[in-house]
Amino acid sequence: MAQEDKPRASPDALLAKAEREGRGRLRVFLGAAPGVGKTYAMLQAARAALADGTDVVVGIVETHGRRETETMVEGLPVLPRRSIPYRGRLVPEFDLDGALARRPKLLLVDEYAHSNVPGSRHPKRWQDVEDLLGAGIDVWTTLNIQHLESLNEVVQRITGVRVRETVPDTAVQEADEVVMVDLPPDELLKRLGEGKVYVQDTAARAIERFFKPTNLTALRELALRRVAARVDCDLLEHMQGGAIDGPWAAGERILVCVGPDASAQKVVREAKRLADLADAPWFAVTVERPGTPLDMAARQNVDAALRLAESLGAETRALVGSDIVDELLRIARFENVTQIVVARARPARLSRPFVRTLADALVREASGIAVHVLTFAEADETVARHRLPPAGRVDGYVAAAMAVAIATLLGEELTKHVALPNVSMIFLLAVLIPALFFGVWPAVFASVLSALAYNFFFIDPVYTFTIARPHEVLALLVFLVIAVLISAVAGRAREQARASAQRVRAGRRLYEFTRKLSALADTSDIAEGAASEIHAILSRAAVVLVAVRAGELAIAAAWPPEDRLDTASLSAARWAFERGEPAGARTGTLPSVPWLFLPLKARQGPIGVIGLEALPNAPLDPESRVLLDTLADQTASALERAALAGEMADVRSAAEAERVRNILLASISHDFRTPLSSILGAASSLIEYGGRIDPEQSRDLLAQIREEADHLDGMVRNLLSMTRLEAGALDLRRDWVDIGEVVNQAVAAARRRGAIQHLVVSLEDDLPLVRADQILLNQVLANVVGNAVRYAGPAATITVAARRAGDSVEVSVTDTGPGVPPALIDHVFEKFVRAASDGTDRADGGEGAGLGLAIAKGIVEAHGGTISAQSPAPGQAQGLRVAFTLPLQPDAGA
Amino acid sequence: MNDLRILVVDDEPAIHRFLTPALSAAGYAVARADDGAGALRAIATHPPDAVLLDLGLPDMDGKEVIARVRQFSRLPIIVLSARDREAEKIEALDLGADDFVNKPFGVGELMARIRAALRQRSGEAHAADAVLRAGPLEIDRPRHRVTRDGQEIKLTPKEFELLVYLARHPGKVLTHRQILGAVWGPAHLEDTQYLRVYVGQLRQRLEAEPATPALILTEPGIGYRMAE
Repeated sequence: MAQEDKPRASPDALLAKAEREGRGRLRVFLGAAPGVGKTYAMLQAARAALADGTDVVVGIVETHGRRETETMVEGLPVLPRRSIPYRGRLVPEFDLDGALARRPKLLLVDEYAHSNVPGSRHPKRWQDVEDLLGAGIDVWTTLNIQHLESLNEVVQRITGVRVRETVPDTAVQEADEVVMVDLPPDELLKRLGEGKVYVQDTAARAIERFFKPTNLTALRELALRRVAARVDCDLLEHMQGGAIDGPWAAGERILVCVGPDASAQKVVREAKRLADLADAPWFAVTVERPGTPLDMAARQNVDAALRLAESLGAETRALVGSDIVDELLRIARFENVTQIVVARARPARLSRPFVRTLADALVREASGIAVHVLTFAEADETVARHRLPPAGRVDGYVAAAMAVAIATLLGEELTKHVALPNVSMIFLLAVLIPALFFGVWPAVFASVLSALAYNFFFIDPVYTFTIARPHEVLALLVFLVIAVLISAVAGRAREQARASAQRVRAGRRLYEFTRKLSALADTSDIAEGAASEIHAILSRAAVVLVAVRAGELAIAAAWPPEDRLDTASLSAARWAFERGEPAGARTGTLPSVPWLFLPLKARQGPIGVIGLEALPNAPLDPESRVLLDTLADQTASALERAALAGEMADVRSAAEAERVRNILLASISHDFRTPLSSILGAASSLIEYGGRIDPEQSRDLLAQIREEADHLDGMVRNLLSMTRLEAGALDLRRDWVDIGEVVNQAVAAARRRGAIQHLVVSLEDDLPLVRADQILLNQVLANVVGNAVRYAGPAATITVAARRAGDSVEVSVTDTGPGVPPALIDHVFEKFVRAASDGTDRADGGEGAGLGLAIAKGIVEAHGGTISAQSPAPGQAQGLRVAFTLPLQPDAGA
Repeated sequence: MNDLRILVVDDEPAIHRFLTPALSAAGYAVARADDGAGALRAIATHPPDAVLLDLGLPDMDGKEVIARVRQFSRLPIIVLSARDREAEKIEALDLGADDFVNKPFGVGELMARIRAALRQRSGEAHAADAVLRAGPLEIDRPRHRVTRDGQEIKLTPKEFELLVYLARHPGKVLTHRQILGAVWGPAHLEDTQYLRVYVGQLRQRLEAEPATPALILTEPGIGYRMAE
C-alpha cells in the first residue's frame, strides 16, 4: 500500500467499522476442547448481564444433563425450541424465526458449529447467527477450536480425529469479541474422569485418542495462538481505522488453483493458512476447458473446494479457457497476485519425464509470481495441462477404417501403373482425414491401422506381417510416429476450432438475448422474454421475480409458465434478493431447494431475482454458470432500463401537469388583474378625486366598474364551466332556443365590452329552433366572438352567421384579421393555447387564458355538435373562421 | 402644477379609461400611448415630465422602452407591473426605471409615487451637496459625520458610504445590484449577504425601532428605499 505523507484511515477498515453499526455484536466463547466450561462461562456472563438489566434470552443451550450448567440456566428466560420432523421423529431445534420475532437485546446460542437438522432455514447454526446479527441482535455463542474450518486439517493431524462440523473462519473473524475459556489439560482430564465432560456418542477409543494430554496441550496452544492473532488483528484494524501511522499489511495476494482431484480442498486450506500468515486477500480459481465436461465426481470436487474457499473468505472464480495455464496467469496478473498455490499430483513413475503437470507449467511460465507446489501422495488423478480428449463416437472409427481401406486400394492401383517411391504418403492422408473430422482417437486408430495395412500390402514379403529388410522396420516405425503426431496436432486443431465455434455460439446467443430484451420496454415483457430465453439457452426451467413495492418479491414471469413457488424456494429467493448473493440449490443457503436463485443487481440495488431449475443429476457446468451470470446481468440492466423509462414517463407527465397548473395560474392572475386594476383604479379615483372629476367622467368610471365586474364574472363562469366539463359534470338544461336571438345577444355584449371592430350579423330566414342549454350557448358564442374581437385587430370585420345545414344548424364567426398560423390551427381548441396577434409571444399577454375556445368545444360537443376552425377563412386571403353545428334532433334522453 | 405632463403607456384601454380622469383631476396633463413605438415617439418629440409604463406591450417589451429612453433622457419612469413578477421589476429598475407600482393599484398610491419621482428629479440637484438630510438624520459628507437629532452616531466607513448612497436617492427604489455596484463595486453584484448584514447594522444604529424600520425600507425581493 502506498504510504502517503499524512496517514489516512484505510477505507476498508472504516467501512468494516461502519458496517458493524446497526448490526448485533457477536461474542464467541472459545475453548480448546469440550469440557473446558465455555457454556458455563457464557451463562455466568449472561446472568451478570441480566442482573445489569440487559434483555437476555437463552436461544439454545445444551446442558447435557449437567447439574452445574442447569442451575446456571435457571432464572434466565428461555426461548421455546421448534420441533422439526426428521426421519420420523421430532427434533427440537433452535427457533430462528421465534428469536427474530422476540428480538431480545442479547441472545445466547450455544455450539456455534452445530449443523441444523435438514429442513431448517440454514444448514448451519452459524448462518442462523448471521441472520440474528443482521437483525441487530447481540449474540453470544461457544466454539471449540477444532471446529474452525482452516484448522480442521491441523486438528486432524494432531488428534487423528476428523471433525465434521466446521465454522468458516470469517464467521469467527467477524466476531466483535472472542473470550478464551481456558482450563489446563490436567484439570480437564480430571473433570473428564469425574464424568463432568459430555462427549457426543463417539467411540470410546476416539475419546481416548482425543483426550490425551499431548493433544490437549497442542489444542490449547492452537486456541491461545488464535486468540493472540486476533488481538493483533484488532490492533491493526484499530490502527488503520484511526489513521495511526504504522506498519501496513504487506500487499500479498494469493491465488489457489482448484482442480477436480481429491486434493483440491487440502490445497484450499493450505492457501487459507498462507493468506492468514500474510494477512492477504486470496482467490480460488478453477479453469475448465470448453468441450471437455467434467464427470460428476470431478464436478463435485471442484464445487466443494470452491465452496470451502468461499467459506474461508476467498473470492472464487470459475473460468473457461482452452489453455488452463494461460487463463490462470491472466487472472493472476489481472488481480495482482503475488503467490500461486497449486497441487501437484505425483505422476506415475514411468511417465514422469514425459507428462508435464500444471504445477510444472505454472512454475515455468509464472515470472514474478511465487508458486507454491503441494505434492500429495494419495492424489491419484493427474491434472495434466491438456486432458486427453474423449474417445469420440463409433462412426469416427468406422470412417478411419474406411479411409485406410481406400488408401490401401488407391496404393495398390497406383503402384500397378506408376512406380511410387513411397506409398506411405497416401496413408498419411488416411490419418489426416479422420483427425480433422473426428478427433484424436479415431486418427490414432487410423495410424495403427495404416501401419498394419502398409506392412501387410506393401512391405516385402507382401501379404504377410513379417518384414524382410531391417530398414523397412525403421521406416514403418517412423511412419507410425509421424502419423500419431499428425493425429494429435490435427485433433487439437479441430478441438480448438470447435471450442471457438462454441464461444462464437455462446456470444451469438448472448447477443440475441440482449437484442431481444432491448426491444422490450415493459417490465413484465422483459421478465417473460428473459425467462423463455434462459430456458431456451440452458434447457432448464427459469423464473424471474421482480421487486414490487416495499421490497416484496413477486413472480413476474416463468418458463415453462408457472405462477407459484413453494415457501422454501420463495424464502431462498428472498434471501438472494436481500443479501445480493446466490441462494438455493448448490449454495450455502437453503441448498435443498430445487432452484438456484441469482440476484438481479441494478446500480441502485437489487431489483429482482432470477431462478434456474436445479436438476439433481445434471449440475450446471462452469461455462453455463458464467453464461447464467451474464444473462442475469443483462436481464437486470434491461429491467433497470424499463424501470427508469417508467420513472421518466411519470416525471414527464408530472412536469406536464405542473406546466398546465402554472399556465392556469398565470392566465388566471393575468386575466383577472386587468379588470381588477380597472375596478380598483376607477373606484379609488372616484374616492380620491371625486369632487374634481366632472359628472360625465364620474359616470363613465362607474360604468367601467360595472363592465369590468361583468367581465370578471364571465371569466369566473368560464373557469367553472371548464372545471365541470373536465369533471364530466356539465349539466345541460335543454330548452327550445332561438339561435338568432343568441347571436344578437353575443354581438351586443361584444359591443358593450368595447369591441371597436365592424360587427356584421347574417342570419338565414326561418331558422329552426334548437333544443339546447341557452346559457351555455350564450357562453359558447361569447367566447368565439370574444376570441375574434381580441385577435382580429381594430380594423377587422367580424361576421357572425347562422344557417341550416342538413339536420343541424351551423353558426360561424368569421373575421378578416391576421388569422392563425398553420402550426397552431389544429390546437386552437386545446386549453391554454392562445395565439399571439402577430404570431410571436407578446411580452406580457403571451400566457393569457386560452380557455374560451376550449370551453366552446366542450359545450358544443356536450350538445352532440361539432366545432371547427379554418384559417385563412374560406374565400378570404386571411382571417379565421370558427364554425359550430348543433343537431336539430339531439339524442333522445340527452 | 398644471404645467406637469404625464405620459401613460398601456395597451389596455380600460387602464387609460380610469387613469385619464384620475390624473387630470390630480392636476396633471395626460398624454396617451398604446404601444412601445408610440411611447418612444411621444417621449422624443414632446418629452413629458414623467412616464407611467406598462411592461406588457403588444409591439415590444416595456424593458426595451426603458433602455431606449435612457439613451437620451433621464425623465422619471414608473413601471406598472404585476405583483408576482419580481425578476421583471428588478430588470426594469436596473435598466433605469425610477419606481414601480404593483397592479392592481389604488390611485392614491400611484399619485404618491408620481409625486416622489418628480420631486426626486428636482432633488437630484442636491445629491452632490456636502450635507444630506434624511428624516431626523443629518449626514455631513466631508467630515464623515452622521447626527440624529443633533446626536452623533458612529459608523464604519462602509456603513457611512452605504448610508450616503441611500440618502442621495430618497424615496427611490434601489435594487440590490444597484447598491452593491455603487458601494462595493461591480465585482460584488451578487453578494446580497453583505447588503443584508450592513443594512441590519445601519438600522441598529439609526432607527428608533430597528425591528420596524422607518428610514431604510425593504422592498421585498427587490431592494431598499430610503424614506423621504
